Parts: sequence; structure tokens; C-alpha cells
Amino acid sequence: MQPHTHDIEDAPPAPADGLAIIASQQERVRTGAAVDGRLLFLVWGAAWLIGYGALWLAVKDLDVYRPPSGAFIVFGLCISSAVVFTIVHSVRRAAGMRGPSVTAGAMYGWAWGLGFLLQAALIGAFVNAGASHELVALASNGLACLIVGLLYMAGGAMDQEPALFWLGVWILVVAAVASSVGLHLTFLVMALAGGGGFLVGAGIEHARRRARRGPAFGSAARTA
Amino acid sequence: MTDAELDPVIHAQARLRVVATLAALPAGDRIAFTRLQDLLDMTAGNLSTHARKLEEAEYVAVTKTHKGRTPVTYLELTTTGRLAFERYRRSLAELLGGAS
Repeated sequence: MQPHTHDIEDAPPAPADGLAIIASQQERVRTGAAVDGRLLFLVWGAAWLIGYGALWLAVKDLDVYRPPSGAFIVFGLCISSAVVFTIVHSVRRAAGMRGPSVTAGAMYGWAWGLGFLLQAALIGAFVNAGASHELVALASNGLACLIVGLLYMAGGAMDQEPALFWLGVWILVVAAVASSVGLHLTFLVMALAGGGGFLVGAGIEHARRRARRGPAFGSAARTA
Repeated sequence: MTDAELDPVIHAQARLRVVATLAALPAGDRIAFTRLQDLLDMTAGNLSTHARKLEEAEYVAVTKTHKGRTPVTYLELTTTGRLAFERYRRSLAELLGGAS
């Protein structure tokens, strides 16, 4: 068996087969060793839709805003699950890799971590300074969206990923609208437009991948 | 163009797979031998043989290091290797274009 396998492996491929081999290995790297934007957008879209949706359901009929502790637990679980998924997925896909892009990815990851550490510190300071429940809710949401939007825009610009860049723009716009419509509706806007934005992003990324993969396989298949 | 003009180092199925995989990584990135083996579904012995040929042609740079106490070997496509791969891919496309 072994000599036979060697014979095949050492054989020069026909041009169409050669291009098909290149395309299939590129796809293998994309699915096995690169972060899958579709998965991350999908997970974050679901987390925002469910998390913010729960907050909206809990406060929509209140006359005066009070922090809904049960809904905040749901929200916290959604967001922390998405964070854990993102970290595990990124670390797994980058396993066994070294070099400039991995270092850049780690630095980008630290920017997220430190950004949200500062967000938490600021919210703590606002609470200590006597901020109202409503102000705390608006500020924590607004600051979080500022971090997410700007980091997506920067990441999209640096990696030349226009879809990521525009998702960042969208999140900043959504946050601006959500912050100005009154707290009851803030959560609804965040759930539908914010979570929905991620889901649309997942769809666009999926379509883009299929379009990119199509011609590479198509040309080889035609000539084979 | 004929088959004879295609780069003989890359023009073998197994080595083309190795080079195509390394070329799909961002330039300058290295990959651990075992991780590359996973992406190729190749045996360690087989991959070693082909990696050595690619290293001799200076298409692949091999770095040996340690992660804790475990030795780890990293492979990386050199600039020469990346150029040779692009030239090879272009030649294949031209061959196909000429044939159709």
C-alpha cells in the first residue's frame, strides 16, 4: 500500500487537478486554521437578540426604570457565553501558529479586554459618584458599543475586511439611535438593529465566502 | 508551455499540497509540524520527506524550538517559495487557458 501511495503523491498533477488541489488546500486552511467570521457574527447576533430582548421585555411596561435583575442575569449569560466562544474559537484556530498575524491577533484581543476593563471601571466610578440607574444603563451600553464599533472599524481597516468595517459603523449608528430614544426602547433597538446587524453580517460573510470559493472550484471542474 | 517547464520541486501532488497550504497562511507566519500534518492528512514520515525536499530548494524554512520541554518544529514558506508557488499557479492557469 505504501509504495502505491507514494507513487500517487509523487506523480505530477494535471493542470486542472493542480488548481483543484490548490483550491481545496486553501479552503482547508480557511475552515481549519482561520477564524470563521460567520460563526462569531452568528453567536454575537444571537447573544444580543436574546440578551437585549430579555432586557426590553423586562422593562417595557415599567413606568419608572428599575434595573431588572433577572433579565440582567440572562443578558450577562448571553454576553459571557459569546465572549467565551469567541476566545475558544480564536485560540483553537490559531493553535500551532506563530508569526506576525498571530501577534497582531493577540494584540487586537488585548485591546478588547482592556477596553471592557476600562468600561467596567468607569461604570463603577459612575455608580460611586451617585449616577442614577438610568444613566448607568445608558452609559454602560453606550461605552460598550463605542468599544465594539471602533474596534470593528479599526480591525476591518487594518485587515482590509470591508464587511467588518461597515458592521462597526452600523453598531455606532445603532448605539447613537438607541441612546436617544429613551431607555425602554434602547434595549429594543439594540436587540433588533444591533443583534440583527450581526446576523446580516453573518449572511454577507457567508455569501462572500461562497462567491470566493465558487470560481476556484468551478474552473477546475469545468476543465477536468 | 509544457509540463517540463513546470517547477519540478512543486510539480508533485504531495509537495503541491504542502506548498499550497503554507501559501494560504499570511506571509511570514509559521505553522507547527503537527498542525500542518492535520491540515494535510499526511503521515509524519511522509511530510518530513517532502518538507526536506522543499527545504533543500529553500522554498520552506524550518525552525526548531521548544514549548516547555517539548520540542516543536515550525515550517514557513520563504519569499522564494511564495514566488515559486505563484509562478507555478500562473503556469497551470496558462496551460489550461492554452488547452481550452
